[in-house]
Amino acid sequence: MTHSISRRGVLGIAATMALGSKAFAQPAEVVIGWILPLTGVSASVGQQTRVGAQIATDQINAAGGIKSLGGARIRLVFGDSQSKPDIGVSETERLIQRENVAAVAGAFNSAVTFPASEVAQRYKTPWLTMGAVKDEITERGFEYVFRLNNKAIYDAREQIDAMDFFKKETGKGPKTLAMFYEGSDWGRSHAANVRKLAKERGYDVVLDEAAPPNQVDFSSQLLKIRAAKPDALIVAFYTPDQLLLSRQMMEQRLDLPYGVHSVGGGTEDPAFYKAISPRAVAYYFVQEDRQVDALQGVRYPEYDDLEKKFRELLGYNMSAYGAQGFATMYVLKDALERAASSDRDKLRDALAKTDITSGPALYVGYQRIKFDEHGQNTFAHGAISQNLDGQRRTVWPAESRAKDIKPIWPVPAFGARS
Amino acid sequence: MDPLILGFAVVNGLLIGGIYGGVALGLSLIFGVLRVVNFAHGSLLMVGLYTAYWLQALAGIDPYASVIFTVPLLFCMGYFIQRVIIAPLIWRESALVVEPLSALLLTAGVYLVIDNLALMAFGPDVRSASTSLDMPPIMLGPIPVNMQRFIGFSAAILAAIGLVVWLRQTRMGRAIRATAQNRDAAALSGIDVPMIYAVTFGVGTALLGLFGSLLATFIPITPNVGLSFGIRSFIVVVLGGIGSIPGSILGGLVIGVFEAIASQFVPATSAAILSLGLFILILLVRPGGLMGKL
Repeated sequence: MTHSISRRGVLGIAATMALGSKAFAQPAEVVIGWILPLTGVSASVGQQTRVGAQIATDQINAAGGIKSLGGARIRLVFGDSQSKPDIGVSETERLIQRENVAAVAGAFNSAVTFPASEVAQRYKTPWLTMGAVKDEITERGFEYVFRLNNKAIYDAREQIDAMDFFKKETGKGPKTLAMFYEGSDWGRSHAANVRKLAKERGYDVVLDEAAPPNQVDFSSQLLKIRAAKPDALIVAFYTPDQLLLSRQMMEQRLDLPYGVHSVGGGTEDPAFYKAISPRAVAYYFVQEDRQVDALQGVRYPEYDDLEKKFRELLGYNMSAYGAQGFATMYVLKDALERAASSDRDKLRDALAKTDITSGPALYVGYQRIKFDEHGQNTFAHGAISQNLDGQRRTVWPAESRAKDIKPIWPVPAFGARS
Repeated sequence: MDPLILGFAVVNGLLIGGIYGGVALGLSLIFGVLRVVNFAHGSLLMVGLYTAYWLQALAGIDPYASVIFTVPLLFCMGYFIQRVIIAPLIWRESALVVEPLSALLLTAGVYLVIDNLALMAFGPDVRSASTSLDMPPIMLGPIPVNMQRFIGFSAAILAAIGLVVWLRQTRMGRAIRATAQNRDAAALSGIDVPMIYAVTFGVGTALLGLFGSLLATFIPITPNVGLSFGIRSFIVVVLGGIGSIPGSILGGLVIGVFEAIASQFVPATSAAILSLGLFILILLVRPGGLMGKL
């Protein structure tokens, strides 16, 4: 590691000497750091985000860079968290100290984002949270930490709201819930919110089970779910564990009258759908961070370019994570334009005043981006989809539902499916 | 507890435990003969899983049929790793046994290289193979027994029996056992020790080729899937008795059943802690492991 850095340092000095005063004539450069799980359990998600962010950056640079900074280019540097908190923290330090980034974005895993954003706060560097939902990330009074996407409590509320809504719509619904989730910050904070909301809305939580990551067998836990006989199951897992769980549920024909309700993670990852049989995930409800049906209303030429390139690079269609990576860069561009500076404090102040109501920054499907005093985008929201005929179609909120879509509620047992 | 659920738990535990034991067989064999702790054990299983996956994805070969490719391939890999990477270390040691730490670090290096090469070559995406054979679960009374896991379980038992018979009855087996007992004495009796080491290592990894094909149908395949199996294999081998073939299967069954039952009472995270507690307890009473010699 030391070798490559010192070599780069030497090259840098050499380049500066060679260019001499010419270097100053070039438009300046704004360096943005990303902390993402580029390897490890969440690697597929990290790669999608990276590709989304890179496409947005290329578009911004091709369109003339940051105009208020004399056409400054954006350059991205990536730090790989491997989904591990300690590595995420040291990579954040590296980006801030050595790469001299103007801002850092990331880091998908709540367990990484929580401590890494604290590092950013300590060095007074703006941190734009991508993907991570743990409530406390924006509840620590950190003025440098912002979040575009949902908090965990929004996710949980959307799931329970959807169940309540289907109940009202059909007169039928679950009484008992089971929760099965990954045992790090994300799963636990989601479970805590569901527990709270379930109590308020009169659902009975009959099983509350966490699982460590990278399992090879869920038989024991599935047996526990079978024994608890819940009406519906709420899950939160990253891709590999979600794959194992969905497969084993089908193999064991574990039926839940009101279905499986996933809060995303693995069930939003296109790599998951490539690896699983459509039968295993039929009728799944997924809390989506992005409008899954084609975005309604305004479309920008940027989107077609993005979606085409994304498919070329990764071999599957746009995902919530690619979309978030893309949108995050446009939010940063907006703030950089207004700050007219890559100074971290000025950029922070500009980010705090963000109020976007149109343009590619809203690609995820939000109507507006505006941060509250904690740095949380209060206009963030998701949608609930149901897997119908092999496609995830929006079923909640009702106004986002397509005309031909009606949720299947309750869901048929494995034995009764054609 | 509901007796039906208990029965379920025992059946699940036996199936997965047998598979743990089968995967650990090669580790036990290699340690028993070479005294090398093969840290790359899980990674080689990962290679077996990916081989089965790609044979299906590219050539349409069913994972169960891919055994005829994965077993020889993994044998060659193991033979090569021993001959080229580990052997120089062994010949540098003048003592009868290799310093466990240096061999461990060396194989840990092999593990890092293999896992990261897999990440570079195959990318981080999760993959899964599926068999075209239609295998409905067989019913054991009211309890469904998953066929794919049952095949893995049966293969583990058969592989263990085959290995024991091979070590007892054949000339090569006797040579391997002699080398395990005393390397120098074996060499003096005319046994080609470097060849025995390489074959032992190859057989140990060929077993992973077998399980790579058999497990590919129900395990999510990622470049770091080996780690979870690797660590569990160590526990299974030490619990069963290092170098003992039946001990490896027994160790797997004990861990599998214990965890399956324990996780009906506590979260699976805590069940893993309890099984490590059981592990310490057994080793306190029988330091050589369940089937090991003291």
